[in-house]
Amino acid sequence: MRFVNLGAAALASIAILFLTFVGLGSSLPALGPAFNPVTGAWSMAADASSYGSQTLHLAGLQQPAHVVLESSGTAHIVASTDHDLFLATGYVHAKFRLFQMDLLRRQGEGRLSEVVGKAALDSDRFELQLGLLRTAQREWAELPASDQSRAALEAYAQGVNDRIDEAESRHQLPAMFTLLGYQPRPWTPIDSLIVKGDMTQTLNFTDTPLVMALLSKTLGPDLTSEWFPVLPPNQQSPYDPGPYQPRSAPAPVQTMRAVNAAEASAIADLYGRLGALPAGLIATGGASNNWAVAGSRSASGGALLAGDPHLHLTLPAIWFQLSMDSPGYHASGVSIPGTPIVLIGHNQHIAWSLTDAQDQQTFFYEEKEDSAHPGQYFWNGGWKKYGTVAYDIPVLGGPTDHLSVKTSVHGPVIGERGLTTSVWWAGNMPSQDLGVLLRIGQAGDFAGFRAALRDWHSPTHNFVYSDDKGNIGLISAGYYPQVAQGTPWLPMPGTGEYDVTGTIPYDQIPQVYNPPNGVVWSANQRQVANDYPYYIGTSSNFFDPGYRANEISRYLAQDKKFTAADMVAMQNDTRDYLASEIVPVLLQSLTGETLNATEKAAQAGLASWDYRMEVDSPAASVWWVFWQEYLSATFDPWWKSHNVKIDRADGGNSNPLNDALGQDLEAWTLRNPTNPAFTLIGSAQNAYDVMRQAFHSTITSLQSRLGADSSRWGWGRLHQRTIENLAQVSGLDYGPHPDRGDAYTPLAAPDFPSTHGPSWRMVVDWGAGTFQGVYPGGQSENPASSWYADRVATWWGGRYAPMLAAEAAASTAGAVTWSLES
Amino acid sequence: MSLLRRPPLLIALGVVVSVAALYLGAWWMPFPVGLWLGLLVPRARFSIPAGAAVGLVAWTAPLVGEQVQYGLGPAATSIAAIMGLTGAADLPVALTILVGTLLGASGAWLGSAGRALAPRGAKPDVGRSRASEPSLEPASEKAALR
Repeated sequence: MRFVNLGAAALASIAILFLTFVGLGSSLPALGPAFNPVTGAWSMAADASSYGSQTLHLAGLQQPAHVVLESSGTAHIVASTDHDLFLATGYVHAKFRLFQMDLLRRQGEGRLSEVVGKAALDSDRFELQLGLLRTAQREWAELPASDQSRAALEAYAQGVNDRIDEAESRHQLPAMFTLLGYQPRPWTPIDSLIVKGDMTQTLNFTDTPLVMALLSKTLGPDLTSEWFPVLPPNQQSPYDPGPYQPRSAPAPVQTMRAVNAAEASAIADLYGRLGALPAGLIATGGASNNWAVAGSRSASGGALLAGDPHLHLTLPAIWFQLSMDSPGYHASGVSIPGTPIVLIGHNQHIAWSLTDAQDQQTFFYEEKEDSAHPGQYFWNGGWKKYGTVAYDIPVLGGPTDHLSVKTSVHGPVIGERGLTTSVWWAGNMPSQDLGVLLRIGQAGDFAGFRAALRDWHSPTHNFVYSDDKGNIGLISAGYYPQVAQGTPWLPMPGTGEYDVTGTIPYDQIPQVYNPPNGVVWSANQRQVANDYPYYIGTSSNFFDPGYRANEISRYLAQDKKFTAADMVAMQNDTRDYLASEIVPVLLQSLTGETLNATEKAAQAGLASWDYRMEVDSPAASVWWVFWQEYLSATFDPWWKSHNVKIDRADGGNSNPLNDALGQDLEAWTLRNPTNPAFTLIGSAQNAYDVMRQAFHSTITSLQSRLGADSSRWGWGRLHQRTIENLAQVSGLDYGPHPDRGDAYTPLAAPDFPSTHGPSWRMVVDWGAGTFQGVYPGGQSENPASSWYADRVATWWGGRYAPMLAAEAAASTAGAVTWSLES
Repeated sequence: MSLLRRPPLLIALGVVVSVAALYLGAWWMPFPVGLWLGLLVPRARFSIPAGAAVGLVAWTAPLVGEQVQYGLGPAATSIAAIMGLTGAADLPVALTILVGTLLGASGAWLGSAGRALAPRGAKPDVGRSRASEPSLEPASEKAALR
């Protein structure tokens, strides 16, 4: 009996010690360290209370510095040397966002599986294939020792590591580390470059050529060419309308080649693999706005600037708000944790913001191989051996995964089933973006701003500019790949004739400075008119349809003196430009149509609607559902009759394919209502027939979803927004809550529920000397902190907070100061 | 005077050691403290509850302190959410206390079971202690004290 008792006690002890020391892999953390009431997850309570005035000792600091924290957590870092400024920035970022920073670098470096298990293995394998890590390593290796960004990156890494050391010695690592059971390794400059690479990938790595190939195989080359043209079929508002410098070789006109069955099968396999990756790894479209108004057109007499980059909205947010002051650098705005600079903001003389330019930056190449030349591909008349890079991917709770990545001259091989496909991606070009951003922060006029952007390669961005002299400008800086020949909107042969040969000269990329109308704007639309002499992408790859740009352009065309309040109103504008074009045609088409009572009520609602997608607007619901029904009624029969496997509507969410078809439908409705595309549908003969049919089905659908009383069909009942926790802990999300806007309104809110949108709003009025901004989130990643989501309500309500200088911030109520010493 | 004559002191000592260890990251300390109690204290019906009490108090006291100092509500809510138990903020508290308690109790049980295997002559004879003067001392030590 005593032995039985001992055995039972031993077994119980082993079980308890196993659970407390080891846990159950990714499903249950080691309970001991995780729930240690002093140093485990509970330490988030102490951390949330640790932001008061204090003296901190940072290794590597050259001279005393200080950080002023406003009551909202906005940080103002003041240092006597540039080195100390970047070191302190690294410390502050890590103090508030260390887990986020670690996740970002792990994503790009293919090391998520190490801490979350095999669920992340596909992502890790893809990232290592794509090569963010290799690119970051090259960028670091190529960065001259004398470059100021090299020193900034090194000092920043020192500051991050100061915080890691401090947190470890005090057992204050963020709770997610203890719950996941690992400790962060030291930060390196390459990690910062990886974080930059993450952003590049999420903004401009596309799979659209694969989609076009599959469409060409099923819909046929002719229809695909017609429906997915190079030049947009609808009305656009390019900010750089020309005239352009002539070029000897004309830009190509889109035609589709035939795709055979074997090629289509291989492409479908690759497309399926990319489609299965986590959201955010493949760029599927953007939705950012920026614009500027010259001093001559503002009420204050100074230039105005507005910027709201639209990204995946998360808690913690991608942004951290701060100001940075040292002898060589002054900037105020938002930074990305993991990088040492202000990405969007202003200095004493200039302000800037950016949107994604969305020219084609991803090209797929089909390598020619031969069984007589194993491990080689044919290129430029000869056989060339693939390069290989080997990686070991540690996997939590499983064996280490071994990955061998093949590379050709075009880039990494990312598909080998049936066809060897490599990808040329501009994001794999070393691009010293941090140095550019440092020089932007140091620029005092447009010449300095423009000179800095000359070295910006990827991702291509529309940089809007304004200054304290009343000047404005816009430059779509970056790399615009040009191929020698061929069809870059499809996968191309990798034999050399179709390679990327260079880029558009910097002087000829889209850009304007002080245009005669006194305004500039971008909203991911095609930046140039149809006579621009270079190929920069197609309507589906992957410029925005242009409705936000059209609305902004319409607003800025008013004959008035604009104010900062107008800029705020425009950033929060919910007017759907597409609706303003289509709804009048719909109402016209319904004239004489027999309608039931509910349909008549909906018709009347549309007739008096101001085209604003507000939460309580039934007409907004009718419009949006109608547009989806209209798209479906027009294109679904084609999809069915041609057995197209590409998901056109993606559950009602926006995607480049549907946006491109929407542009077609818009153009046909307004200018070509008898397009043959309409004739496949029952007895329909033209757009109006299909619109009537779609309207009836819209009302039926809404009655089914929202009830018979059409007065209660407010848009908010269909459309909600969620700000998701970055670690995908749904209990730490904000929302979902009913919200205004849609995919096409300046206040962008695509998808259901919407998880993307204005990630930062900034308005600058140089005449009044006011700077204001807000982002949906909070400065701290600690969910127990009052700074976790405290700004969301302000953002949601369309309000802003002043962007103060450090001295002014120090005198605000609730401000605290950290004194930094070595 | 032996600590074994003062059960509350024995437990208090275990708690102090365990709490101090928590601050050093040695969260596992209730287990060896419980083990020690189990080996030292003759009766399982006392040693196991004592070990559990050490773990319970050692892991509860810091929580109480943090509640007073910072307030644990947001942290408890957040931990529950991370555990997939949104809205059940009491559960992380209960789980934390349970972990500490189980560490102490299991250590004491193992120690007690191990002690039971020792030769009878070597075992303390606390069962014959005077009822009016409870003691945890082994008989041999008791004799020596006299």
